[in-house]
Amino acid sequence: MVRTIITTIGSGLGLTLYSATAAAAWEVNLTPGVTDVSRSVFDLHMTIFWICVAIALVVFGVMFWSIFHHRKSRGAKAHNFHENTLVEVIWTIIPLAILVAMAVPATATLVQMYDSSEAELDIQVTGYQWKWRYDYLDHDLNFFSNLSTPREQITNEADKQEHYLLEVDRHLVVPVATKIRFLLTSNDVIHSWWVPALAVKKDAIPGFINEAWTVIDEPGIYRGQCAELCGKDHGFMPVVIEAVSQDDFQQWLADARAEKQSAAAAAERTWTLDELMQQGEQVYLRACAACHLPNGEGVPGAFPALKGSPIALGDVAGHIDIVLNGKSGTAMQAFRDQLSATELAAVITYERNAWGNSLGEAVSPVQIARLLEPSTGEAEQ
Amino acid sequence: MSDKPTLWQTLLSVLSSFFGVQSEHNRERDFRNGRPVHFILIGLLMAALFVISIILLVRWALILGGA
Repeated sequence: MVRTIITTIGSGLGLTLYSATAAAAWEVNLTPGVTDVSRSVFDLHMTIFWICVAIALVVFGVMFWSIFHHRKSRGAKAHNFHENTLVEVIWTIIPLAILVAMAVPATATLVQMYDSSEAELDIQVTGYQWKWRYDYLDHDLNFFSNLSTPREQITNEADKQEHYLLEVDRHLVVPVATKIRFLLTSNDVIHSWWVPALAVKKDAIPGFINEAWTVIDEPGIYRGQCAELCGKDHGFMPVVIEAVSQDDFQQWLADARAEKQSAAAAAERTWTLDELMQQGEQVYLRACAACHLPNGEGVPGAFPALKGSPIALGDVAGHIDIVLNGKSGTAMQAFRDQLSATELAAVITYERNAWGNSLGEAVSPVQIARLLEPSTGEAEQ
Repeated sequence: MSDKPTLWQTLLSVLSSFFGVQSEHNRERDFRNGRPVHFILIGLLMAALFVISIILLVRWALILGGA
């Protein structure tokens, strides 16, 4: 009922301010979400909102009535006194009672939110600048989820689509009606993993593991964002959850594992320079272009240019080392866990042969795969 | 009324300082005849009791919440 009132007031205002079409987009309230917890958060929010409305009506009502009724033109005389213990006690007790009354349902919801016991599926969520990594802990599966909005939309060279900046290359696929525990941490700076429809918003802090959980009722796609300012591309690391039925989830798990194996097999065969360049460009745009820019020129003073760079044109071992292991003390990340052997070989080949860099040599996936082997577990894609 | 505040009055004064409201009459009595050390000791005791009661309240809420 409360929601109907809000929607009615909302669309009424929307209609007068804009047009009928604008009214549909007039959404200013919290989302009720799709889980038990998110609904109780919404109810709590509305309860407290209406308590605030009632307090405002009473306080301002009394205030305006007093100002009007005791106005000077009607001969009102101020009653001068210094203190009144009784009044002070009353105006302290009433807010205290209201706060305690609000704390009761709030505490009940908080206790519910923090009870991550008896989860059926554990997913580790790791924040990176600027993407999320998901590890299905009991299923030997992990992947990175990168923004997939085309650069042309960001730079206004193309029209922005419906899910602008809220779309990724790989969704976090989860089953419905299953208690899922998220273990949140970070690889670099503090991020925050936020999905409004689940009422989950938890900081991902390097060196710490935070817990959150959810049970999603309805299959669907739920979108969220990083909610802790984490650097240049903070607004470009969305979260996309795809809730599917139990059967579809098992199928997806099997497919994802098969895909992983075929990627490993692909590294074994011989790749031509053209093939590597083609894949390398895609990998570069996804994983490198945020800092080094699509034209390889970097950002002077912050992110070095790769075009004509001594590393990209120098000894190949040095180039491979910096891409695989990163450079400590800089924003250059270690990509050995983030990309497959083939992707690494392709992107290094691309960097050595694009934008006027022309060494003409290819780095083979097999060569990279061998380098990835020693640290088993860590390097497993 | 020039006597020292009794133990009970000191306790009430400490509690009203926790609450944030005290009558001018009691304040004058405390400041004229009371000894600071009494208020500090009872204040520390009450603060400890307050902390303990918060801990118990949280435990109770957790039991009610089923955690």
